[in-house]
Amino acid sequence: MIPKMVSLIFLSFKEGVRERALIGIGLFSLFMMGSAFVGVSLFMRDLHKVSVDINLSAITLAGLLLTFFVSINLISKDIDKHTIYCVLSKPFSRSQYIWGKYLGIMLLIVTAFCMLTLCSSVNLFLIKSQYDVYFQTFSWLEFYKAIYSELLMLFLLNAIVLFFSTITTSSFITLLFSLSIYVAGQTIEEVVLFLKTRSAADMALSETINTIIDITQYILPNLSVFDLKVHAAHAIPISYGYLFSITCYSLVYSVVLLLSASIIFNRRELN
Amino acid sequence: MKKVVIIHLTPFLLICSIVLCFFVQQNLSVKRENFLKRSDMDYILPSKVTGLAAMEFKGIVSDFLFLKASTFFGGKFIKNETLNAKHADYIYNFSDVITDLDPWFWDAYLFSNMLLTWDFGKIDQANTLLFKAREYRTTDFKVPYHIGFNYFYFLKDNIKGSQYMMEAAKLPGSPTYLASLASRLAMYQNQYKPAILFLEDILKKTRNPILAKQLETRLEALTVMNSLEKKIDAFKKKFGVFPDHLSDLINTGLVESIPDDPYGGKYILLENKRVYTTSKLVYK
Repeated sequence: MIPKMVSLIFLSFKEGVRERALIGIGLFSLFMMGSAFVGVSLFMRDLHKVSVDINLSAITLAGLLLTFFVSINLISKDIDKHTIYCVLSKPFSRSQYIWGKYLGIMLLIVTAFCMLTLCSSVNLFLIKSQYDVYFQTFSWLEFYKAIYSELLMLFLLNAIVLFFSTITTSSFITLLFSLSIYVAGQTIEEVVLFLKTRSAADMALSETINTIIDITQYILPNLSVFDLKVHAAHAIPISYGYLFSITCYSLVYSVVLLLSASIIFNRRELN
Repeated sequence: MKKVVIIHLTPFLLICSIVLCFFVQQNLSVKRENFLKRSDMDYILPSKVTGLAAMEFKGIVSDFLFLKASTFFGGKFIKNETLNAKHADYIYNFSDVITDLDPWFWDAYLFSNMLLTWDFGKIDQANTLLFKAREYRTTDFKVPYHIGFNYFYFLKDNIKGSQYMMEAAKLPGSPTYLASLASRLAMYQNQYKPAILFLEDILKKTRNPILAKQLETRLEALTVMNSLEKKIDAFKKKFGVFPDHLSDLINTGLVESIPDDPYGGKYILLENKRVYTTSKLVYK
């Protein structure tokens, strides 16, 4: 069973590496990181913050672009172009296909993240050596913690993408649903926090709307918990306990989504 | 035949289009400049909207907004344009939003504090932002240091000024002179010396050339005023009375001449025997 899975994982990974969009995404991120060189010189003192902000945003954007343009294609293409029949004619179960695909995509994203982290570290090192005085509060550890948490967010987001791929028939609809969940997941915490404030209490929302928001916050993944970019930019220490919690959150949520996707995909008619 | 004409015509049309594009762009630049002048950027979306829209990119959005604000005011300073109360509200709201997105962003706090206090006299607004910084930057001595200075220099509240300076002196990285400055604040009442020390310290760490130029000019004016006040004290010691005019210092040989105010005003001796300038430290 394991060799079968491994071959599926590497198959998905190779398929992803062949995507031309990958080069474009890589170049875009490198360009964005490079812009930090010019960008920081326009600021007064918080040079470490600005360079970390730009570098982490470049890595995050690359991860999101990979998810929304490469991952979605990798999964939906099989169904759209009917190549899934060839794969399923081999001795794989549909569940194995889902898990293999997911892990293959994650391998691709982890590889991309490792390469981007390396480029980003070199970039930050160069900026730091140029403006060393302004990097006194900078911490490499917090910088890498932020990248790790971003990776956890992408684990979850890709599970969402895969889940929607199994229930929809078009890659566009998958993109639309996944993007909506991403936006809602990033903003739900702020909406809930706002509704708890006094100014929101004055708005007197109906009981139904409050209930809907309450239910939504438990169903939707809270993606903002993975955003540690501002903390990394100011070298504010993040506890290992918090990192462990978000790791569990991402893994458990992803497993739930992947198991649901497996069940749905097993029952799906592939005509 | 047609194919040959098209093949030869295409490069010609391309060159014509590039030339046309150049002129159109030039024309647009002029129009855009006028458009921007008319629609002065004096609004900002509240942080409830900006924060939601920025999603997980709050840090980089705050950088961008700060850059936008500093470029806007930098342009005003370069052109020596007069700033009004509307600009003060704008800088306050802008900084409030930026620091809602990233509450640890010191550049935004410092920039707004410098403008709101020295250029607009809005000390309460500046302190509101600094107190917000104090909630987040708990180990940064610069925050209570600036609050203390605002209380001492602008609000003439030496007790509170000394209290915050003391708080700053206890925090890591604070300059060694801070503790003694805090204890001597009462002695410095109505003197320009703490302001000079304060501006010198800011200037040392300021990289932005526009802001540095602003600070240098202010420092130059304050240094002259401080040195003239010292000469007035010397006059009092020598003759037992205060001079009636600054020209008395020249007549008695205490100074050779009264320096020019870099803001374009004229140094004067007030009734309370303090030196000030007709420019009020704002460009004439």
